Amino acid sequence: MKEQKTIPPRSAEKILNRIIRPDLVEEVLGDLEEKFYATLAKRSPFRARLNYWYQVLNYLRPFAIRKRSKSYSNFTPMLSHNLTVTFRNFKKFKTQFLINLAGLSTGLACVLLIFLWVSDEKQIDKFHKNDDQLYQVMSNHTDASGIFTWRGVPGLLLEEIQSTVPEVKKAVATTDAHEYTLSVDESYIKANGKFASTDFFDVFSYPLAQGDPESALSDKSGIVISESLALRFFKTTDAIGRNMDWHFWGQRKTVQVTGILKNVPKNSSEQFDFIMSWNYYHDDLIEYKQWGNYYARIMVVLNSNSEMEIADARIDAIFKENLQGENVTLFLTSYSDRYLFSKYENGMQAGGRIEYVRLFSIIAIFILFIACINFINLSTARASHRTKEIGIKKSLGASRKSLVGQYFTESILLSIISLFVAFILVWLLLPPFNYIAQKELSLVPDPRLVYASLGLILAVGILAGSYPALYLSGFDPIEILKGKFSRKTGEVWARKILVVLQFTLSIILTVAVVVVYHQMEFVKNKNLGYDRDNLIYFEREGKLIENSEAFVNELKTKPGIEDAAVSGFMVGGVNSTGGVDWEGKTPEDQVQFWEIRSGYGSIDLLGIELVQGRLFSKEFGSDSANVIFNETAIAAMGMEDPIGKTIRHYQGNRKIIGVVKDFNLISLHTRVEPMIFLFNPEETHFIMARLKPGDEGTTISEIESLYESFNPGYVFKPQFLDQDYQALYASEERVASLSKYFAGFAILISCLGLFGLAAYTTEKRIKEIGIRKVLGSGTWQVVYLLSSDFTKMVLIAIVLALPTGYYIGNMWLENFAYRIDLEWWFFAGAGILALVIAWITVSMQTLKAARVNPSDCLRDE
Amino acid sequence: MKETGIGEFEEVILLLVGILDQNAYAFRISEEFESQTGRSISIGAVHSALERLSGKGFLTSEMGKPSAGRGGRRKRIYSITASGRRALTASRDFRISLWSQFPDFSVDQLSFVFN
Repeated sequence: MKEQKTIPPRSAEKILNRIIRPDLVEEVLGDLEEKFYATLAKRSPFRARLNYWYQVLNYLRPFAIRKRSKSYSNFTPMLSHNLTVTFRNFKKFKTQFLINLAGLSTGLACVLLIFLWVSDEKQIDKFHKNDDQLYQVMSNHTDASGIFTWRGVPGLLLEEIQSTVPEVKKAVATTDAHEYTLSVDESYIKANGKFASTDFFDVFSYPLAQGDPESALSDKSGIVISESLALRFFKTTDAIGRNMDWHFWGQRKTVQVTGILKNVPKNSSEQFDFIMSWNYYHDDLIEYKQWGNYYARIMVVLNSNSEMEIADARIDAIFKENLQGENVTLFLTSYSDRYLFSKYENGMQAGGRIEYVRLFSIIAIFILFIACINFINLSTARASHRTKEIGIKKSLGASRKSLVGQYFTESILLSIISLFVAFILVWLLLPPFNYIAQKELSLVPDPRLVYASLGLILAVGILAGSYPALYLSGFDPIEILKGKFSRKTGEVWARKILVVLQFTLSIILTVAVVVVYHQMEFVKNKNLGYDRDNLIYFEREGKLIENSEAFVNELKTKPGIEDAAVSGFMVGGVNSTGGVDWEGKTPEDQVQFWEIRSGYGSIDLLGIELVQGRLFSKEFGSDSANVIFNETAIAAMGMEDPIGKTIRHYQGNRKIIGVVKDFNLISLHTRVEPMIFLFNPEETHFIMARLKPGDEGTTISEIESLYESFNPGYVFKPQFLDQDYQALYASEERVASLSKYFAGFAILISCLGLFGLAAYTTEKRIKEIGIRKVLGSGTWQVVYLLSSDFTKMVLIAIVLALPTGYYIGNMWLENFAYRIDLEWWFFAGAGILALVIAWITVSMQTLKAARVNPSDCLRDE
Repeated sequence: MKETGIGEFEEVILLLVGILDQNAYAFRISEEFESQTGRSISIGAVHSALERLSGKGFLTSEMGKPSAGRGGRRKRIYSITASGRRALTASRDFRISLWSQFPDFSVDQLSFVFN
């Protein structure tokens, strides 16, 4: 066996080879090898190798290291040269520059607007200093139709959590904000308020201007009011210790101001003007203090996030210990997630507003991309103007790298100028944008905006500049200078593909807009099963609680009013219960019913159709032990012949006297759910009236004066049911109108690019056109010749975009239980629109070219 | 130090180049340095000094013949230039002149204190 010879480590040699000056390599490697064998003779091979490495490392000295390329040494002169050339080019090709500028700056303006919107959305509720450890307790309720998720939890849970869950540092119980009436002496104001337990200001970072945050909410008769509310009542923010009255329904309580709240910041998902003590709410207002009553919202601050799962399990265990046999599970979710991730499906987090955030981010990228394509196409198309320049530079020794540098300078400079213009555009567009988006965005220079701007400059500069830079710098100088320069087919193809891509994206956006528009029209005009037109309602307060019947009777006599009644109906639903038992109910038959409290005439007033039996009516004596269901409820209970049967409601036994047709109470996002009408006129919260169409203004002021005579002092605040209904779809409506504008911009930018290309092609072919005309070709033939290429591209884009648009449209529509069908003409419409716009754009150029006088363009002097 | 343009280390290297004559290339110089001074040194450090001295004009160099022990690579042989010699002499003379001024051990300049 031949003994293997020990040789110097080859990897070290390789490294040395790469690092040191080429002229030193031979002698150095020789020396090191000699050293290696000298060491090897005296010591172990390992030592020899180690020493070799040591020697290599010792060659990392300034004198020996290979010098980097020398372009850095004249960086500044090259940059200033590049800038000069860039500016000259901008000046020389003004149209191209303007098209690029217009396209990029509109694109960037869209992106900036979307960026502002998205980052604002993402900031919501993030201002609490406990944000990272702040969780909300939620409840999952399982019934026959699946799992649905609520924010409501039993109020009794609060003390249990505080005393038995060590992972929880702080816990607070609150209610949702609701509109109540407050009064000081004879001045009444309606304001949004909530109840919250003592630790509220510890858990949430709502700063107090005055008062002690620790104790402001501990006293039952304490109230914390916002600065603006204090100004309205007391004309000063220095209002601690002043008294006011809180009214709700039949309740009236005198409370004392214990704190002044700085106005709630706009990026809080909950807006309120006052907070009262949870102790009062829980002790005095809640009748059914049971574990099965989900009236509280509980938020906890954990010691650390890693304990989230333990805390989650403990809280659920507490609940299960106290309430057995219910299919309810409690869980924790991050508090600040509730704004963007509010939707739950089958107990699982399923998006929410975040979908729109993502959608708009994608649109922003689309638009940016479309704008960059314009730049790429125009600069490669115009390359022939610059071939001489490139040829000469190259033959004078310019490296490819420095040419690439030049084109990047060009694109980055353009993107800087565009960004500047974009900022002006954004500044101009912000007011209308804020109006549509219902935001208060502004262009304040915060670090995120600065980073985003820098990022945009680089992204656009590189995205738009890379292809031209690599393409143009790759020309062979000999060919160019000989004038033999010919275009490779690949380049023309690349340009065509990019145009197709641009139009594909634009058409997808258009289809999306058309789909959204039609669905929103559908939603607005959908027959809900009740008549929501001309219905107004207002709260029963003060004297209207006892005198409601007299008031309603008075109302009915007014000429402008068709009908009126007390009512507990509210769009979106108020109360839901699982506490209904019926004959034959099995443990699996968990059904949640929406409760609607009614009086005489309430259901008739809504125009809900009766299917069986009768409605509540005075003619049959007292109806207080009777109920009415909707069809879905009857089906859910599996009743064959419901009329006359008895069910057990948590308030007592009730007899079914009628069944009404299904109507849509919650929203068109969900199917109609089971509903139960209870006869309980004393506790209906509203008075509702249907106005005769025509002179609604006068009628309302008549109602107001009647209201004032019955209920002096209180604020008359009528609301239209129709507007409540529209408000349910406000976010969709907003998205619809915003995406309309963005799609418009996308098409506009695409067309700018097409315009530039068309201008260029006609210019290139002007001689050909001249000859064709001399040989007898007509105007339209020339137009056809020039447009057919573009038409083909747009047609391909249509073919690509429609299936994608169909898919996306379908996905969005799945959010609605009641939705439109996707009609073929949505797509045809979008396609034809794109084609027509493209034609118009191109024809501006082609018509001009086709009308040209051959003698003008063929003369060559 | 008087302005001779060389430091102590450089001076040693320069002297070693003179001593090794035809064998004065980086590896041998470093070996010689180690055996003469007892200090270990990397070839890179020696090479760097040689380069510096060449830059100052004290050394010239040329490529020698390829040899087997070096993987068939050539070595760069250094030799001292006239100005290199002058710098060495100047540096030596300077030291000698300094030493000549250095006082001998003389008793009268020391004071012994006996208790």
